[in-house]
Amino acid sequence: METMKKQTASQSQKLMVFVLTMALYGLATLFTELIPSFQVGIVEFSVEYFLFIPLTLAMLFDPMSVALGAATGELVFSEIMLGQFGGLGELEKFITLTIGIYIAGRMVANPAKRKMVGIAAMSGVVIQQFLGMVVDILKVQFAVTDFEAVAGLPESVFATEGFAFLNDVLFSGILFCLLPTLFLVPKLYGKIEPLLGMAPRTKETALGAINPKVIIGCVIAFAAAVCSEMLAESGMAIIDWEAGWAGSTTALAVGMIVAAVAAIIILVVMKKMAEPKHEEEMG
Amino acid sequence: MSGMTRKLSDNILDKFSMDFLRNQVLKNAYGNDDTLIAKMDPRVLIAWYLFFGIVPWFANDLIFLLMSFMIVVVTTLMARVAGLVLALFILGVFSQTGYLLIATLIFGGDASAIVPLLILTLKVATISLASITVFSGLDPDRLANGLMWYKCPERLSFSISYAYRMLPMLMEEFQNVLLSYRMRGNPPDNSTFTGKIKYLVYQVKVIIHAFYPLMLNTAKRSRTTVEALEIKGYRYAAVNKEVKKMKLASLKVTYNDMIFLAVSFLCVSISLLLTSIL
Amino acid sequence: MNVIEIENLTFSYPGAKIPTLKNISLTVEQGDFLAIVGNNGCGKSTLCKAMNGLIPNFITGEFQGKVLAGGLDTQKTDVGTLACKVGYVYQDFENQIVRPTVLDDASYACMNYAMKDYLDRGRDALKKCGLEGRENDYIWQLSGGQTHLLALAGAVSLQPDVLILDEPIAQLDPGHADRIYEVLKDLNENYGKTIIVIEHHTEYIADYCKHVLLLKDGNVAWKLPADEALRHVKDLTACNIFPPQVTRAAYALKQRHVLPLTTSLPTTVAQGMEIFKALANESALTNEKVLANESTLSEEKGKAADTAASVAVGAAPCQADAQAAVEFQDLSLSYRSVKGKPHTVFDHLNLTVRKGEKIALIGSNGAGKSTLMKLMIGLLKAGSGQVSVFGQPVRSIKRDALSRLVSLVYQNPEEMFIKDSIEADIAYAMKVRGISRWEERTKELLEQFRLTELKDRDGRLLSGGQMRRASLAIGIALNPQILLLDEPTANLDIATRREILTTLEAMKDMTDTVMIATHDMQLVCEWAQRIIVLYQGTVIADGTRDEIFGNARVRQLTGIRPPEIFDMGQALDPDAYCYTIDAFVDRFGGMENVWNDQKAFG
Repeated sequence: METMKKQTASQSQKLMVFVLTMALYGLATLFTELIPSFQVGIVEFSVEYFLFIPLTLAMLFDPMSVALGAATGELVFSEIMLGQFGGLGELEKFITLTIGIYIAGRMVANPAKRKMVGIAAMSGVVIQQFLGMVVDILKVQFAVTDFEAVAGLPESVFATEGFAFLNDVLFSGILFCLLPTLFLVPKLYGKIEPLLGMAPRTKETALGAINPKVIIGCVIAFAAAVCSEMLAESGMAIIDWEAGWAGSTTALAVGMIVAAVAAIIILVVMKKMAEPKHEEEMG
Repeated sequence: MSGMTRKLSDNILDKFSMDFLRNQVLKNAYGNDDTLIAKMDPRVLIAWYLFFGIVPWFANDLIFLLMSFMIVVVTTLMARVAGLVLALFILGVFSQTGYLLIATLIFGGDASAIVPLLILTLKVATISLASITVFSGLDPDRLANGLMWYKCPERLSFSISYAYRMLPMLMEEFQNVLLSYRMRGNPPDNSTFTGKIKYLVYQVKVIIHAFYPLMLNTAKRSRTTVEALEIKGYRYAAVNKEVKKMKLASLKVTYNDMIFLAVSFLCVSISLLLTSIL
Repeated sequence: MNVIEIENLTFSYPGAKIPTLKNISLTVEQGDFLAIVGNNGCGKSTLCKAMNGLIPNFITGEFQGKVLAGGLDTQKTDVGTLACKVGYVYQDFENQIVRPTVLDDASYACMNYAMKDYLDRGRDALKKCGLEGRENDYIWQLSGGQTHLLALAGAVSLQPDVLILDEPIAQLDPGHADRIYEVLKDLNENYGKTIIVIEHHTEYIADYCKHVLLLKDGNVAWKLPADEALRHVKDLTACNIFPPQVTRAAYALKQRHVLPLTTSLPTTVAQGMEIFKALANESALTNEKVLANESTLSEEKGKAADTAASVAVGAAPCQADAQAAVEFQDLSLSYRSVKGKPHTVFDHLNLTVRKGEKIALIGSNGAGKSTLMKLMIGLLKAGSGQVSVFGQPVRSIKRDALSRLVSLVYQNPEEMFIKDSIEADIAYAMKVRGISRWEERTKELLEQFRLTELKDRDGRLLSGGQMRRASLAIGIALNPQILLLDEPTANLDIATRREILTTLEAMKDMTDTVMIATHDMQLVCEWAQRIIVLYQGTVIADGTRDEIFGNARVRQLTGIRPPEIFDMGQALDPDAYCYTIDAFVDRFGGMENVWNDQKAFG
């Protein structure tokens, strides 16, 4: 029977969940972008994450759709809409966020069990933050040649990154992920699913525990994230290329200028010629 | 600290007007659709962005960076970006490296200290402005089409246009739920310092609680939307190459695009010439 | 030819114990204009979704029987193919619009189905739906009615044979509602489309529809030609559907044996003329005695109506000396617009609301009604001028104090619910303020609004009427001196509207000053003591119902429309001011009641 199917929602239901998460989390990240963070000593207080939104939804609906929806929402609403798009490096955030939410969502078999919800919510944050920390450390390691040789550098990098990680997990994690998720999941469970025309998740309909396949998938995705970040941040080969390019002869530069000027003149003339014909396009 | 707290607590609910935010985001997306940038071919602009969004990060030459920075400043002005976005940009640059640069200048740091910082600041600023030009200057639908041409997932381009369609409604709803809290809630007195902290905590709590009704209401909406998308053949189109071609048929490279590219190229060449001469 | 054929359809939603649709068999002919009526939860929307194949292809559940739409078996055909046969417009139509610009949305479906001429189809659909010239506008630039037309255009663009609309005019003012129906009529008559509407405004059914289908508990009770169907007053009222007022008036007169039992009941004002003409003449003859009296009265009325436009402030007759509750002084307000100049809502508005008044605020969509209310609770800041509540500027009153003075109930009750049960919602404001006995007061309120049984339910999951009652209870929990209600009867069927009207009537004792913004003229006529008409941000009329509805210029300018029975009365006798069926029956039903009627004018 329909209701006994595993929670492999139909395509359209997945789309519904995706749209829902994208809209909500996107809206939330739009606010976080605008609320300033402030520091007391070395502890940074920021409403960095409304992560409880996708975490809650991932525990109630198809976790993959929620994870992708949340990551897309952040990308679209806070980065593209506000013009804060940071290039390839965004991919890293996208992937770590997806992994964290997906795993948290998979962990909960029965949303009625508060303990599991709490553990999953914390795990989601820890995974996401931990992966972020690893990327950050690798970044420094990769960028600084002779990372090990610089006295005290590895220690200080590990210490600061580790501290930031703990800070995020303890502060943002507990205040903005754990508590709200614990508050929302039981309230929404059984109430929000019928609105989307779905049956609530139960032990029988849950996707099942995390298996090696999930872990392998996550590792591969994470590797991709690391690569993209490396590419965005350092790109040694490109620097070499750039060095050769910048040191090129004056003649080449002059040549380029001449070519550019010629191109502009030709284009302007062509545009003028074309104008009577395509007046409406020139506006 | 207390000043900061006050600023923060003022920001979240009281002074922070959702209407203003909504207006700015929409203005950013559609209010400037008659600029030269908005009319450009999105593919050309994205290609342009790939250069100015990436190359400055790897360049260390001051003249080149200055020139690039000037180019993107001009394009940003041309795109007539909304004030809020610019404010965020300035805040972003300042918080990353700008404050170091200014501090060094004030305390009379010498050239050896200033130049590296200036280079770093220019890098950050150039890249940010390049992305602002493209992502804020372009009409979201044209941006979505451009991304689709570059083989970005269909889901992403759909999300971009849909997000803009959805945002005004979502914000209004969120605003109304927050108003319910304002009308019926009883926020702690915020005249003393501890009161301010309490007030802040109260506001954060309200925002979190506000997502409960918002989630349910949005769920209702999403259902209609996805049913309507189904009827309108969205899923059918996502896998159909023909449809994609039709969507992209509206894209056309004009002389303006080419002139824009050529001028950018000219500026870069000039900076290279200057670099090699000096 | 039948465009829809349904055989023995039974459907239940997943997890539901009883089927929503029970063994339904039905045919709809090509070119029909069918209204589906029935009380809340009788399966109207479900039936319509079965016709366009969303059920069972998209919404799963237990499905038995057979549905043929345009000759295609919905079970064997995908939703896309069916969408080209059957178009659907949702009740919450704004969620159906997924693209940011008008032409883009209208042609979106066609593009998705890879039709080469998608833009032409979109333009064509916009033209048919009367949105020509708006092609490049953004969605948020459209009014509510236009947005609805766009949703319709999106469906029309695929050129389906059948169009289904779920409560198309629920949120619209009469002007916009007429426009929607004129467009539908055009599509039906000139383009041969079959139109199916879920509708409870029987006046519109009488004017536009050809057939009526009555659904009762998931069964088809009957399907009849519209005129005949609306004459089944008993059947309809049993399902909480109220036939047009003219019909009900004639029915009541028949019951009183004023009209012969053989009379076939009229359904429109035009038909009513035929039937009631005799009565009007009769009453005119027998009323000669009172005519003199009446003519002076109507003269006064005429005068009042003429001057209503200019005497905006303080025109309310009875409480002119009462204390001012809210004052708008020289108020101007404009919204930032996305492009170009700010949009001016109010330009030097002056208005005084006095203590104890029961005011209806009317005007077309976008006239500034909601904005006016938001100003009163301090949610919007005036550009210039001032709003004061009991003599104090709104912005200077502390929020806590203000919320005890003024309370606003939103148009959309869902946004009033911030807790997970209505009991918690009602209690919230009192609880956080530490009001003594808040628990008892919550209990009392639940009792008064007949919500005790539902107190643990989430407000959002209640039916329309229950939701409204709960939102009203929340609104008066703090015992505010001034209560503002934004469209309290929008989106409700007639029966629920009556229920809310009764509730509002009962609330008159609990509240002091009340202002309702509404399109619902029955509510206005039966409830309000003072009516304020907003038109493009200015008060163009202010007075009693006779002054407002007797003023042809105001009616023409704003498109406000009194209840049908009022028009009927006026058509029979220009001096008749009947706002309710009872008044009409009394007025034209016989001599003995004329004097009572006179009193009502006072």
